[in-house]
Amino acid sequence: MILGLLFAVLAGALVSLQNIFNSKIDEHAGSWTTTTLVLCLGFVASFTIGFLFEGKQLFILQNMKPWYWFSGLIGVGVVTCIVQGIRLLGPTYAISIILTSQLGIALLWDTFGWLGIEKVPFTFQQLIGVLVIVAGILIFKISGEPKWTKIPSNGLKRVHAEK
Amino acid sequence: MKGSIFAFLGGAFITLQGVANTRISEDIGTWQTATITQFTGFLASLLVIMFVRDKKWKRLKYVKPLYLTSGAFAAIIIFSNVASIKYIGVTLSISAILIAQLSLTFLIDGKGWFGMVKQKMRLPQFIGIAMMIIGVVILSF
Repeated sequence: MILGLLFAVLAGALVSLQNIFNSKIDEHAGSWTTTTLVLCLGFVASFTIGFLFEGKQLFILQNMKPWYWFSGLIGVGVVTCIVQGIRLLGPTYAISIILTSQLGIALLWDTFGWLGIEKVPFTFQQLIGVLVIVAGILIFKISGEPKWTKIPSNGLKRVHAEK
Repeated sequence: MKGSIFAFLGGAFITLQGVANTRISEDIGTWQTATITQFTGFLASLLVIMFVRDKKWKRLKYVKPLYLTSGAFAAIIIFSNVASIKYIGVTLSISAILIAQLSLTFLIDGKGWFGMVKQKMRLPQFIGIAMMIIGVVILSF
């Protein structure tokens, strides 16, 4: 349990750093260049670490199913939808919706155990937990509105000025 | 409305990605999963760049080298994400990830690290994070 939470916290902290660094690349080079570079380095890093830990085992893909090859495309969907969402709604509202839908879908997934994931039976307590988190997200994002949109709107202005 | 649909799908895809990676790693291993998914994603976005003839990559030289390394984090992010979903399920993993993510972003903005414009930490953000942590505690018991 604790180990699982620690892994989640590590992932979350790195996602936060990655988002900030990505936005710095995006300011200069645009979203497609950023996406390509980020995925390229992600590939190189995964390959290197995997090879260090597993050696030639890394190349043994016995139970490979065809759809596994295409699952990387989900990442392209993530970037496209988030960029469009933020462009149309502004960062505050877009990110509030993104985080809420992330959690809502997660709850559905645990409940139904799609794709052969171990089912976590739906309980009322779980629903309350998720609703409290969503309320926290909304308070965090929406009551901060005047101050928190400052950086992204500057960023957008700069993008327009360049064009 | 259109923006909301994009944002909703974006969030759904993030969760889907975590679950798909977890599922695939059961069959072929976590590092293999990370390597393959990043590689196919990279190929797809490279195709898009060639298709739209985006020449902006020439401006990468203006980006501070430290920031260019962000992609490498993905290896550890995917590994940790898969490990945490295996141990504690999708809902609890995503919840803890979001809290860590928002808290660190909040801290970086508050301190003005990495050249971010310094933001004043305000009460609603503290209340928001506290509520999210309470929510995770409710989920865990």
